[in-house]
Amino acid sequence: MKQFLLPLAVALATAFAALPASAAGTGMIFVSNEKSHEVVVLDPSHQIVKRIETSRRPRDMHFNAEKTLLYVACGDDDVIDIIDVASLEVVDSIPTGPSPEVFAFSPDEKTMFVSNEEDSRLEAIDMESRLSVQDVPTGAEPEGVLITPDGKTAYVTSEVADMVHVVDVATGAVTKNILVGTRPRRFILTPDGSELWVSCELSSEIYVIDTATNEIKGDSLIFVPPGFREEDVTPVGMAITKDGSKVLVSLGRANHVAVVDTANKEVIQYVLVGKRPWSVDLSSDETMAYVANGLSDDITIIDMNTLAATESIPVGRVPHSVVIDD
Amino acid sequence: MIKVAPLAVLALGLLSAPALAQTPITIGYLGLAEDPRYDPLVAYTRIEIAPGGNPIDGAEMGVEDLAFVSDAVEQAVSIDHQEAADAAGLIAKVGEMAGAGEGFIMLDLPAPLVDQVAAATQDLPVTLVNTTAPADYLRNRCYPNLLHTAASDRQTSDAMVQWLRLRDWTRILMLVGPLDRDKELAAAFRASAERQRLEIVDEREFTLATDPANREANNNQLITGGADYDLIYVADTDGEFARYLPYDTQLPRPVIGTTGLTASEWQWAWDRDGSTQVTIRFEEKTGGRRMTGQDWATWIAAKSIVTAYAKTRSTDHQEVDEYLRSSRLRMDGSKGVQLNFRPWDGQMRMPIVLATHNAVIAEAPFEGFLHQTNVLDTLGTDEPEHQCL
Repeated sequence: MKQFLLPLAVALATAFAALPASAAGTGMIFVSNEKSHEVVVLDPSHQIVKRIETSRRPRDMHFNAEKTLLYVACGDDDVIDIIDVASLEVVDSIPTGPSPEVFAFSPDEKTMFVSNEEDSRLEAIDMESRLSVQDVPTGAEPEGVLITPDGKTAYVTSEVADMVHVVDVATGAVTKNILVGTRPRRFILTPDGSELWVSCELSSEIYVIDTATNEIKGDSLIFVPPGFREEDVTPVGMAITKDGSKVLVSLGRANHVAVVDTANKEVIQYVLVGKRPWSVDLSSDETMAYVANGLSDDITIIDMNTLAATESIPVGRVPHSVVIDD
Repeated sequence: MIKVAPLAVLALGLLSAPALAQTPITIGYLGLAEDPRYDPLVAYTRIEIAPGGNPIDGAEMGVEDLAFVSDAVEQAVSIDHQEAADAAGLIAKVGEMAGAGEGFIMLDLPAPLVDQVAAATQDLPVTLVNTTAPADYLRNRCYPNLLHTAASDRQTSDAMVQWLRLRDWTRILMLVGPLDRDKELAAAFRASAERQRLEIVDEREFTLATDPANREANNNQLITGGADYDLIYVADTDGEFARYLPYDTQLPRPVIGTTGLTASEWQWAWDRDGSTQVTIRFEEKTGGRRMTGQDWATWIAAKSIVTAYAKTRSTDHQEVDEYLRSSRLRMDGSKGVQLNFRPWDGQMRMPIVLATHNAVIAEAPFEGFLHQTNVLDTLGTDEPEHQCL
């Protein structure tokens, strides 16, 4: 499954002769700042070591499987920038449709699926030719994108249509629309692939979809962190542990991250973080979680053993996503 | 880059092919023929920089935005746009539209006409949604058949007053115009100011003429002189006085109300909570027209009605109406919080934006203004103070 995309690598190696063989495991933390058009790099001791200027409005970020390249969706310039993890430079960019927000790779990394929120499409881009090979119309403002590990199915949310589209990747056809809560945003898939979780920002809940039937399973999850009401909660970002036992959910306006027991869907702990936390990511040893706080311009680090926030670090204007190279 | 999309048609075909089982649903939209509120000449002097335009555009976009939802539940939604020139004609139209099976009609009418139409059609199986009349008295009529997505005067004035309390600008000079609407706005502002214990230093009525004998009421320096205050509030729906007021005051004080910092359901410069996409879709649909508060109110009205039909998967008026009015309705108005209707006066709860001509300065309600059940109810007439008049 870890097939490196060779043609791109060759192209890059030609253009940038100094490309190292592998840069995996530097421990660097990457934060995209929507309003300061940069990806901020912090070292493992949480010192800012570099601000990489990107195209405008960088948001969702993903590494390739080898973590040599970091892809950054830049909504206001309609491109996905590519950062070389070793040199910490933008080395290339891939044109997309208007206002790319969230994207995902096929398991073989040959195809990239991008939600273009302004023209309401899920666009599939062939990584070798850089051409748009599939363009699936979605409900307005598509956002979350998830490709199943078998590469056969894409799930995409429409924030305006309050639904999850199930897309057959082979044909580009929408095979099912699942009505969920208000303003559905992001996904996670449990490691066994059986449950797809969807955060619904404005109805303050998480829906769980049974991937075998693509039907909603059980009651939606709701959150009542200390000092807030249910409707103050605007869940967006999620991360799941490798064993699938815990899910972290950022609660947006309620300024907390909820740690949820996946099995019984109970909240184990509410962790107070910064203002309007959205994206959340776990270190690969799962000792730390990193949260981007969009309205306090910082990231918060959560100790996963104590489930307490240990530190908040100012990073720049409107941090959107955090990823860790470890 | 060359774009190729060989497979797009497949997906579109699946979703737009008219399925045999699709249920047709028609939502009414009733406007005033040649409504002077959308006359571009009037718009030229209005508080919003955006030129005028008929907010039917917002309602149409609301239905289009939810086409996927309607499609998924096999409903085919369309808008029936009707107009009439006077109260009698409008009332007759509502009768015809209800007779044709329309259960929900958006009213895009000035307040006196909303009042007459709602009063005359209470016995029909139809719910009216007031989208563009902010007058508070409509909320106190307690018509069982009337909901409101236009922000009430009290909602917008409470938003302004919360901001003034937050900034600690508490001594206010009020300047009020001669029109009935000016007096309605001023009354709402006074009530809001009282709620937050602001001090009205003085209230003065302005006139537009330049008659020297009446200069205390028509000269900017004189009408803003002879008192000390933190801020000037101006109620001038016509706009011709207000737009010449900022920077021409006796004391160097900011102006708020119908010019300067204004309060509305929406402003095109709002750039959070997905609002940019809404504004851009609207501009694309209308050939560049900037979305106003009125467009937002028709948009959210249409979206709410379509959502209620879809979620109930019903065409039974009573069932859909019940859902629309219930707390199960959690609408996304691209203002960051869920929206629904207050049971006591049928008013949609909503945040209010405070904006200059090119920026949203703040969005009410503000942190620290607390409420025992829902912070959105710090804006507008709250349940304990609500009275049916």
